[in-house]
Amino acid sequence: MSDKFSRRDFLKLAGVGTVTTVLTGCIAQKEVKREPYMQMPEYNYNGQSTYYATTCRECAAGCGLVVRTMQGRAIKTEGNVNNPLNLGKTCARGQATLHGLYNPDRVRGPIKHARGESLYETPVDPDADDFKNADSNMSWEDALQVVADALKNNKPEEIAFLMGTASDHLFDLVTDLANATGINAPVRFSALNMFESRATLSQAAENLLGEAGLPFFDVGGAQVVFSFGANFLETWLSPVSYTRGFAGLRESKTKLRGTFVQFESRMSSTAGKADEWIPLRPGTEAMVALAIGRLVSELRGNPLPRAFSDIEPLDVAAKSGIKLETLEHLAEMFASSTGALAIPGGAALGQSNGLAVAEAVLALNAVSDNFGKPGGVFLSPIAPNQTEYQRPASAKEMQEFTQQMADGKFKVLFVHGVNPIFELPASLNFKDALKNVEQVISFATFPDEMAVEADYVFPDRHGLESWGYQRVATGAAQPVLSGLQPVVSGVYKPDSTELLYDARATADVLIAAAQLADGKFADALPFQDEVEFLHSKVSSLMTEADGFFSAADADTFIAYFQQNGGWWKLSDARGAPNVADVLNRNISGAESEFAGEGEFFFIPFVSPTLAEAGANKPWLQELPDPTTTVMWNTWAEINPETAHELGIENDDVVKITSEAGELEVPVYLYPAIRPDTIAIPFGQGHTAYGRYAQNRGVNPASLIGQRLNEAGDLAFAGMKVKIEKTERKQFLSRLESRIGVYNEGMEEH
Amino acid sequence: MASTAHPYSKPAKAHEGHHEEEQDMREFLMYDPKPRGEMNQMVMESMTTTSWKFWVVFGILCVLVATCFIYAWGYMIAEGLGVAGVMRPSYWGIFLVNTVFWIGISHAGTFISAILRVFKAEFRRPFTRAAELMTTFGLIQAGASIFMHLGRVWLFYWLLPVPNQRMLWPNFHSPLMWDLLAITTYVLGSTMYLFLPLIPDLAMARDRSTGWRKTFFKILALGWRGTEGEWRHLTTAMNFFAFAIIPVMFSVHTIVSWDFAMAMRPGWSSSVFGPYFVLGALHSGMGAVAIVLFIMRATMKHMDYFIRKEHFDGLGKLMLIVTFAYSYFFFNDYIVQWYGGDKWTDILLHWLEEGPMSWMFYQLILFNIVIPPLLLWNKKLRQTPWLLALIGLMINVGMYWERYLIIPVMLTINRMPFTWKLYEPRIELFLTIGTFSVFLLFYMAASRLIPLIPVWEVQEGQMTHSLRKVGKAEVPTVSEFE
Amino acid sequence: MKTDLNMMGAKGAIVEEAEGKWGMVIDQDICTGCQACVAACAMENNISFVGEEDAGYGRTQHWIRIERFWEGEYPEVKMTPNQPMLCQQCGQAPCEPVCPVFATPHSNAEQLNLQVYNRCVGTRYCANNCPYQVRSFNWRDYHIDRFHANKVDGKSVYSFHNQFNPDVTVRRRGVMEKCTFCIQRIHKAQDTAKSEGREVVDGEFTTACAQACPANAITFGRVDDHESLVSQLSHQKGGVKHLEELNTLPRVTYLKGG
Repeated sequence: MSDKFSRRDFLKLAGVGTVTTVLTGCIAQKEVKREPYMQMPEYNYNGQSTYYATTCRECAAGCGLVVRTMQGRAIKTEGNVNNPLNLGKTCARGQATLHGLYNPDRVRGPIKHARGESLYETPVDPDADDFKNADSNMSWEDALQVVADALKNNKPEEIAFLMGTASDHLFDLVTDLANATGINAPVRFSALNMFESRATLSQAAENLLGEAGLPFFDVGGAQVVFSFGANFLETWLSPVSYTRGFAGLRESKTKLRGTFVQFESRMSSTAGKADEWIPLRPGTEAMVALAIGRLVSELRGNPLPRAFSDIEPLDVAAKSGIKLETLEHLAEMFASSTGALAIPGGAALGQSNGLAVAEAVLALNAVSDNFGKPGGVFLSPIAPNQTEYQRPASAKEMQEFTQQMADGKFKVLFVHGVNPIFELPASLNFKDALKNVEQVISFATFPDEMAVEADYVFPDRHGLESWGYQRVATGAAQPVLSGLQPVVSGVYKPDSTELLYDARATADVLIAAAQLADGKFADALPFQDEVEFLHSKVSSLMTEADGFFSAADADTFIAYFQQNGGWWKLSDARGAPNVADVLNRNISGAESEFAGEGEFFFIPFVSPTLAEAGANKPWLQELPDPTTTVMWNTWAEINPETAHELGIENDDVVKITSEAGELEVPVYLYPAIRPDTIAIPFGQGHTAYGRYAQNRGVNPASLIGQRLNEAGDLAFAGMKVKIEKTERKQFLSRLESRIGVYNEGMEEH
Repeated sequence: MASTAHPYSKPAKAHEGHHEEEQDMREFLMYDPKPRGEMNQMVMESMTTTSWKFWVVFGILCVLVATCFIYAWGYMIAEGLGVAGVMRPSYWGIFLVNTVFWIGISHAGTFISAILRVFKAEFRRPFTRAAELMTTFGLIQAGASIFMHLGRVWLFYWLLPVPNQRMLWPNFHSPLMWDLLAITTYVLGSTMYLFLPLIPDLAMARDRSTGWRKTFFKILALGWRGTEGEWRHLTTAMNFFAFAIIPVMFSVHTIVSWDFAMAMRPGWSSSVFGPYFVLGALHSGMGAVAIVLFIMRATMKHMDYFIRKEHFDGLGKLMLIVTFAYSYFFFNDYIVQWYGGDKWTDILLHWLEEGPMSWMFYQLILFNIVIPPLLLWNKKLRQTPWLLALIGLMINVGMYWERYLIIPVMLTINRMPFTWKLYEPRIELFLTIGTFSVFLLFYMAASRLIPLIPVWEVQEGQMTHSLRKVGKAEVPTVSEFE
Repeated sequence: MKTDLNMMGAKGAIVEEAEGKWGMVIDQDICTGCQACVAACAMENNISFVGEEDAGYGRTQHWIRIERFWEGEYPEVKMTPNQPMLCQQCGQAPCEPVCPVFATPHSNAEQLNLQVYNRCVGTRYCANNCPYQVRSFNWRDYHIDRFHANKVDGKSVYSFHNQFNPDVTVRRRGVMEKCTFCIQRIHKAQDTAKSEGREVVDGEFTTACAQACPANAITFGRVDDHESLVSQLSHQKGGVKHLEELNTLPRVTYLKGG
């Protein structure tokens, strides 16, 4: 090589080098190991988690939870695998219960305020920079004195308790207090139960199955399921348990895929899973059930029982809008199946003839002869610690309660776990009746409408911070007592040992106040605190046979109770109904009567994701509705054809008028609803209840009148309403694509 | 030349009876020379004569830049892209429309300047610089638009292959990476290519100005004295860049098109996207040059001397050719896709034809394909500056629609119908006004700071022109001297 | 001749063995669309909620969404089986090669698509190129929107921050995210198994969505273990993979049932 290395040589060499590098770089390499550059937190350990078993308090079903906590914070809720009710599963609301625990709108501590005064210091405004909840303005000592005085200074019959359906231990405590001191027995209410028409179900069970209570429908074991309005995959009775049943209906190793038919005037998300959706005319459920019963009896060649003898299928077909062929085809499906099951529920019971519907549908089960058999109808096992099913108040009982309030019979009203101003139809005038109660004390955790209308708010701890137990009313084959224990000691201020929400368990408040009140009150609740009361209630189970666990002494038993999240029996305790003469009775197949003058049937239904108290949890707000995928708002479902005739388009705000009230709501053109029916979900329309709920959507309860059915439940679906288009439009946030799902913007030629 | 009576006009050919075709050769810039000193003075005056109107427009643009560009962008960086209109499924929106648009605009400069220079097209001489400036400033806007589009623009350097201790390296498999490299190369190349022919003019300006301008030109002129050696080097360098920048120009827009064509999406995955985008870029670029020439001529002093009907005519012819070429690729793209009959493509085309943005689709066809040839075939119309500028504007609107259709509107349709949603621009509108303002502001500032007419090139042309006989016709041409 | 699949990864995508490692089976016949999986996923993975306006504008952050369509006209209208759509963890993922900064690489060890949030610069190319449209972008700093804060002692307190899962990155604005198959749970289970000197047992852990699903419609596990439940289910008749024609090798099998 020459010692002169010219620039030209250099360039040549450099060129060759580059080309070589590029070419070799292009050759695919066999061994490519690709790993992320960074170690993300997903790969790291941040310490150990602890898990606590407790019970979900989002609804009264009583699903067992196991909550993952870390450094004193609840991180995630999971189902308790051992709990026979939910077997490790949760619904969306159970998952989002953490958004209740850490909700920024929780009441900060005991507060005395003027009725109607907001529990915010700043108005709820999406553009506001910072919110400030009302600060606590009294100490717990003063609060206890207020409660004690209220108990002591009033006559027992002037003291009333209005309670929600969770949790049961507090109800037991107040019941004990009432029994011992003569104050009014606590009244329990929940909008969920109102929409479930529990009194009707219970009454029908008493009439036909021989025992009041919630019947247990073994969906999982059935082969054909006819559901008359029962939205058991949404909020009905025990949705997690019934969803498991539904999965069993569809997928089972031991039997063929079961068939599911839903009779409902609008396609609920339950009906969306049905193989056949029968959009019958509202009010004809009873006659349709009876007609099917008659056709089935005829197909089987049985003598026609009294229950079906008056019904004329052809007539039913005309009235219900179901073709006779369809009725016959359904009857054949029902008759030919070895495990046919019929379930009454939902809006079908919330009509003037609701009881007849429930009876007619239960009678259908008698035709199928499935009482007490797998895939049939059972009596729900009576929960531990209880001798019979305790039904929450029906609408009739609430009417009486409200009347007593209005009459000034109560001087003090304690409210816990229920938001009657929101949950009860406005036509009941609960808020007005409240004016005749001298003192209203709310134990609300959140600043709901009731807390706003109370004189005092003494916030209860959130379900995940609480002790207690919940009796499983239905859904499990065994008697189950789901236990609650605090999974976190509280929510703290950042970098502080001070509580952010200075809440106190209502049971503790009542016990302490009773001690302060002294006398019979102190004697009625001779406990140091809530936990001692709880032990006194639970340890009696120690001696019961067939328990999931047993212990020699009370302390061990209590420890197991906490550890396992409750106590339950091991064997199936569902009762077989006494079936004699079920069909040998008259069941009215008359159409139900509708109140109001409009031309549209009105179906309010409980939002599957929000239910009655989910609206303040932002993640529940952001869950799309399973049928319409609408988030964060209320809509009215209307058939597209009808809307077209009325000149209504999507997102047009319509005014809906019933005999009881009116409201304005944007429209969703819903392809699966009868043209003569309007449906609105219940769950939004709060006037308080925190920044995520307030002033959002409308509450269909304001349209519902006070008409009852025979069992005393509200005929919430027994109304006709008028629709009027307004000039306003309100854009509904949907997850779905309007283009992709409804071809909007791409009209066919 | 032939005629003694009219030294600068084509000789009359009475016997052929084509009197109407007789043309005064002095209409052509190359045959209408002025003394060098006078011409230099004219260019200097065009730079320094500024009316109050200029400052009004300049001031308005400054306000627009401050609000719609600097403030709006800062606000978007602080708040996140939520203030823009991008969402699922249109994850890309107007920012990338602007990017593609500005890159398209930038093509005109290179094309007119480099390709016409390489092919020795004489009518290019007075307006190469105006076009090159568009390239550089357009690319700056394109780059800014890309950065606006980034979710975390403060980490933009992660896209660059900067050696670092953690051995983090960008992904050269990604078309975005190619894009970044191509655009960077193009910016550097075109800036150099703008600067090189500017040097003699800067030196000319240096010698004719005083005060801060003199200092400014002195620095930029790099000590140019105009020696023969300097000229030789300059010519070599310019030739080198003129040839080198052409493939870069083609590759840049091809690579930009690959951002789309490489993706697995109906409507995008098309193999003609490369040339289609290049032609589209030229289409909009030519239009933009027409607009700029019109504005220059209308607003700047002495520009009617330098920019004449012949230039609009030549530009019009180019635009006509490009329109045809563009139309070819347009139909090639859509018809092939339509014929293919893929389910998702069918839906997409249906969406374009019938969806809420179909007006854009039809305007695009009208503005880009139908109207330009109908007007540009006519010499009279071609030579009407305002009309050509209007056509240019129309083409640019049409081309903007085309990019808008390709990015957010086509993104509406994907293989998951449950997610289809139509994009609505939000802060993008302000930022678009912002980029246009920055572009205009830069351009206006440049018109005061550097000679927009490459005066030495014009002089060189005028010195070397003659008439030559091609067949029976005599055409103006350049002597062998060049 | 046996084709070496790894040699075919010319586009920069890693092509794996046909099956992959972790997989999921979703039974659409029993999915009731109840949204429990969506809520569970959000709680596990620190997914932010975006509010009404953004939610309606296609900016929901859900990593899993439940799709449903309509068939027919009233009264013969039917809701199509609910279709939970989540990242399919493609064996040959279109999102991977297009990222200019390797923020969405493929893990050979897990055979999953990773999303490295801290590396992401937000070009959103991956989301465009995802045929399943399951990537969600952090359009804003939703977690620290002052709307969610309370003024307590003069300070803004975000009480929801208490609920953050410390195992999962909290994403700020400008970052892409997507379903990770709960990779934090995979790692925990693998490490536990390793420390006990064994392999991960099928059913030892599962993803948040599968864990919550009341109908048990979601099954997660090792698809390369032919004994596992998920593997057996995925080979059932009627199991389909979405957009299989794109050769993305998705790891989620859908059972249509019926």
